[in-house]
Amino acid sequence: MVRCDGVNRREFLRVGALSALNLGIADALRRRSLADGGNRLRNCILLWLDGGPSHLDTFDLKPDAPVEVRGDFKPAQTSVPGIQVCEHFRRLSGMMDRVCLVRSMTSELGEHNFGRHYLLTGYKPTPVLAYPSYGSVVAHVRHDLASPAALPSYVAVPQFSEEAANGYLPGSTRPFAVGGDPSRPDFRVRDLNMPDAMDADRLERRRQFLADFDRLSDQVEKNAISQNRDAHFEQAYRLIFSPEAKRAFDLGLENSAVRQQYGPHRIGQSCLLARRLVEAGCPFVTVTDNGWDTHGQIYRELKEGFVGGYAGRIPLLDQALSALLDDLTVRGLLDETLVLVMGEFGRTPKLNTAAGRDHWPRVFSVLLAGGGVRGGQVIGASDSRGESPAERPVTPTDLARTVYTLLGIEPNQEFHTSDGRPVKVSPGGQVITECIG
Amino acid sequence: MATIAVRLRVGVRHRSMAFLVAIGLASAAAAPPAHPSDPPRSAPDFETQVIPVLTRAGCNSGACHGAAIGRGGFRLSLLGYDPSFDFDSVVNEFEGRRVNAVHPEKSLVLRKPSLDIDHQGGLRLPSAELGFQVVRDWIAAGMPRSGQRKLERVEVTPPSIVLPRVGDQFSIRVTAYFREGDRIVPDDVTRWAVMSASDPAAATVGTDGNISALRRGQIPVLVRFLSEVSAVTVTVPIGDSPGTPTARPVSNFIDEHVNRTLDELRLPQSPRASDIAFARRAFLDLIGALPTPTEVESFVLDTRDDRRARLIEHLICRPEFVDLWSYKWGDWLRIESRRLQPEGAAAFHHWVRDCVQRNTPVDAMIRDLLAASGDAHQVGAANFHRVASDARTEAENVSRLFLGVRLQCANCHNHPLDRWTQDDYHGLAAVFANIDRGRNVRRLARGEVIHPKTGQAAAPKIPGGAFLTQVSGKPAPAKESGATVATAELPGDAAIEPSLGADRSDRLNADPLKDLSEWLTSPDNPFVARAFVNRVWRELMGRGLVEPVDDHRASNPATHPELLQALTLDFASHGFDMRHLIRSIVSSEAYQRSSTSTPGNADDDRFYSKYLVRPLPPHVLVDAVSKVTGVPERFEGITSGTTASALGDSRIPSEALDLLGRCARDTECIATAASGGSLPLTLHTINGAWLNAKISDPAGLVGRKLGTGESVKEFIAECYWLALCRAPTPSELDHWLDPLAAGGPERRRDVGQDFLWALLNCTEFCCNH
Repeated sequence: MVRCDGVNRREFLRVGALSALNLGIADALRRRSLADGGNRLRNCILLWLDGGPSHLDTFDLKPDAPVEVRGDFKPAQTSVPGIQVCEHFRRLSGMMDRVCLVRSMTSELGEHNFGRHYLLTGYKPTPVLAYPSYGSVVAHVRHDLASPAALPSYVAVPQFSEEAANGYLPGSTRPFAVGGDPSRPDFRVRDLNMPDAMDADRLERRRQFLADFDRLSDQVEKNAISQNRDAHFEQAYRLIFSPEAKRAFDLGLENSAVRQQYGPHRIGQSCLLARRLVEAGCPFVTVTDNGWDTHGQIYRELKEGFVGGYAGRIPLLDQALSALLDDLTVRGLLDETLVLVMGEFGRTPKLNTAAGRDHWPRVFSVLLAGGGVRGGQVIGASDSRGESPAERPVTPTDLARTVYTLLGIEPNQEFHTSDGRPVKVSPGGQVITECIG
Repeated sequence: MATIAVRLRVGVRHRSMAFLVAIGLASAAAAPPAHPSDPPRSAPDFETQVIPVLTRAGCNSGACHGAAIGRGGFRLSLLGYDPSFDFDSVVNEFEGRRVNAVHPEKSLVLRKPSLDIDHQGGLRLPSAELGFQVVRDWIAAGMPRSGQRKLERVEVTPPSIVLPRVGDQFSIRVTAYFREGDRIVPDDVTRWAVMSASDPAAATVGTDGNISALRRGQIPVLVRFLSEVSAVTVTVPIGDSPGTPTARPVSNFIDEHVNRTLDELRLPQSPRASDIAFARRAFLDLIGALPTPTEVESFVLDTRDDRRARLIEHLICRPEFVDLWSYKWGDWLRIESRRLQPEGAAAFHHWVRDCVQRNTPVDAMIRDLLAASGDAHQVGAANFHRVASDARTEAENVSRLFLGVRLQCANCHNHPLDRWTQDDYHGLAAVFANIDRGRNVRRLARGEVIHPKTGQAAAPKIPGGAFLTQVSGKPAPAKESGATVATAELPGDAAIEPSLGADRSDRLNADPLKDLSEWLTSPDNPFVARAFVNRVWRELMGRGLVEPVDDHRASNPATHPELLQALTLDFASHGFDMRHLIRSIVSSEAYQRSSTSTPGNADDDRFYSKYLVRPLPPHVLVDAVSKVTGVPERFEGITSGTTASALGDSRIPSEALDLLGRCARDTECIATAASGGSLPLTLHTINGAWLNAKISDPAGLVGRKLGTGESVKEFIAECYWLALCRAPTPSELDHWLDPLAAGGPERRRDVGQDFLWALLNCTEFCCNH
């Protein structure tokens, strides 16, 4: 039983057997990337802190600034002498040797959609053309390097905004959104599992029947539409029948100690899912964490979450991110996985009357780790009140060029829009060379 | 000496004349090198002779000095659209060090591109070439900036060429007509024109205008000289048959045009579709619904010669026709409740339905849309202004939808592939500057759009035509001003231009929006009709004559320019009647052909030698699945029984429609020709609730038929009739009988469901063909 362009059931079994022979996927990936020589392809986990995290309360504290600027949090010493971060990053502060902070990011776009587009694509938004996000570019470049586990090339956990999507690139490079909340006990990736009434035999029968219908009918010739459809069906069957893919999406298979390490919350389990996916061969995963648009009660939001809460945004991020970095290190994946943590902009240096901070793109921080990044350093600095870059301003375009370089994607590579206009991946900007280890 | 037949087509007004000229290959190849042929002048003219040299050498391209920030500190306007800027850059900037009047050949602008000194852009202007000499002579003459010589028009001869075989060559000639004082002086500018095949793998174009075909088919070659762009179509027959093609059936004027192109390409056409295939196709295309078995039967049993015309007439009058075509209008006008609120979207949809129902002329609809004001929750048409977030977006929407033109390139710079300027873009935006886009749509006393180049308020302007006010921001003196609204011209189609571009001398109103509306809908403005017929053509024929439908321009020629012109004229002369247009298209033999290829036309995807197979649109597919399974789709908050095609708002929740990729209507939706779903959709189809629930519903097809002991044979036949509108062939019936008949009731139910699932996913069901 073979569909003309597809893989038959034996093929699935064979793929399964390969992994049984202990040819770990990570190994296979490593071999592939080494074979690529200088242009080493790396994977990426992007933690998108949606809303715009306050630089002054996370990675760029100003203890000497006036009280209305410095706020409630104290800076804490980290494992790298001279680098301080917010006291509530209790775990992360112990692993700053793996982290590179850029404290002089600067942009002019203080509106969420514009900021998202600028940070996620490296291009300022224009009404003329929607640019593809990092993940879609990676999926486009690596579309022919099919994941051995039949995983999609760009996965969004749990959802994505349009700015994180494919822009002018083909729809096949849109993120595959897993949906739901990975921290819920009943979490399942949508439509990955057969409904109760179905079983493998019936699915196989349907597959066979569908092939029969197409074969028996002489009404419609094979065409681009049917070929696309066949390709999607093959990809879907592979996913459904792929034990690795199923396993990669199944958090229930994770060691409970590891699950606890990431934390019993949405961002923690999302990061764990991202790690599982990258480990199984998915080149790009975006984890979105909402709630960073702290216009009011910023200290409660960031520290406790709600009145009487045990953890706000920072402790949750701290647990998830530190667990992710540790886990990647233990599994030997950190060097081939870039971890990028950022939001669309920073927040106003002066606290507002609602005890919050508003949008502030002029200076903010991003965090990079793993993936060829030289850790234990801070790049750039903001001025004494965290208003503007004091040295080495870095634009989102510079960051994009750096990220693509780290991921092994040539920034000057050209793609074409649907109307044939050539567009480079990331033509402007300068690579932040000191960031690369 | 081998001779090639070159067909010259000269488009003149409504007619086109074609005649054959036999030209010796050698004489074509040995065409004298183009050289400025007019009497020697004292100095080359900067605008019309020096800039073309720079353009031809690539100096002012977007990748070099034409980039917005220039290159290496030297900046030119993109493709030379701003001669004054370029003059300043070359002559005055950099303290005048780019030119050397005493030793012209020592000028930086010559030393660098000739690689006398290092140049990052490489060798662009070898010193032995004529271009170098033109620039040198101009510098030697003291760098005059006369501007006395103006480009009037450019003519490329011949405008289309048929080359019999791959490898054949032919030289085109580019003639520019310059106005010098009161004289019009022609000049052969072939060697200064920039020429390129739109597909470099299909043809090569030499610097002397020599075109060599590398592939069969229709190959547009773009020719640019200064601001003028035109396209020459090179045709290399796809078919091999040397004799006259088989007789081609003709139903109306559409077929005459389509057939002529098929003749040129020597493409055989597929035979007429069977009545059964035609019925399914016409139902899906015209009313968005599958025909019932009874409807198919009564059509097939009709023996009258005009049964197809009768069916078309019947369908055009069905209420579902209003549903389907209002849905399409909803996509075009982008009716959605996130911006318009549910009340606004409902009012807007109601207005559209009313227009489609009454067959309101399209020009009248446009007048209504532009003029409407008031409470948008009550006045449906007033929502048109609210779809855009601001004046610039509205200008883009209006130009895409009504002009069929993408004006947005001209936001930041003059359109590199078309005649549109920044003045056009910001001028059109200025027309919409004073609209309050809140719920209560109204005109404000003031409002402006800042022109990025001047930093001042842009003056309202007809694209490609006149300014509508004399001083920016202030209304024009009313009608006695004597200002005229521009003559409508189609930059995209030289052939149409003269026929529709009769002079108008309308006086201006005090209101630019009213001027725009009058200009758009005036009978001799060809834009609206051209853009609209192309959209409708695409809906029915699977591909626009111009693709994408909102990108008409000279450098993106139609596959059938004369057909587009004929349809445009026919539509305008029939009072912008949408039903008339639809009837004309579906009555043509081109529409009624089989979708199955015949030997020799398998690869044709644009010449209509067969019907183009296409996926059913999301809303049509949802309705078709509901109809076959007998389990209607329910939409939250919508009266039950409402079909997906009758929905007025793209935000009405529906997982099925979302996964199928319905147009969200927040931007122009142009479905890719070869869709075929997505991975999440396919996963949902296999494992999700939408299809599985409909298949396994006890009140659905399988539950009702197999459960009540209907014979398996009848069940199979019924499924085929409902979904594919035909009987199963004996071999199909034979194939399915055994698996479906085997086992007990439970197994038969399961297998029946699996059978139906596969049927609803097979290509024949999911496509219109």
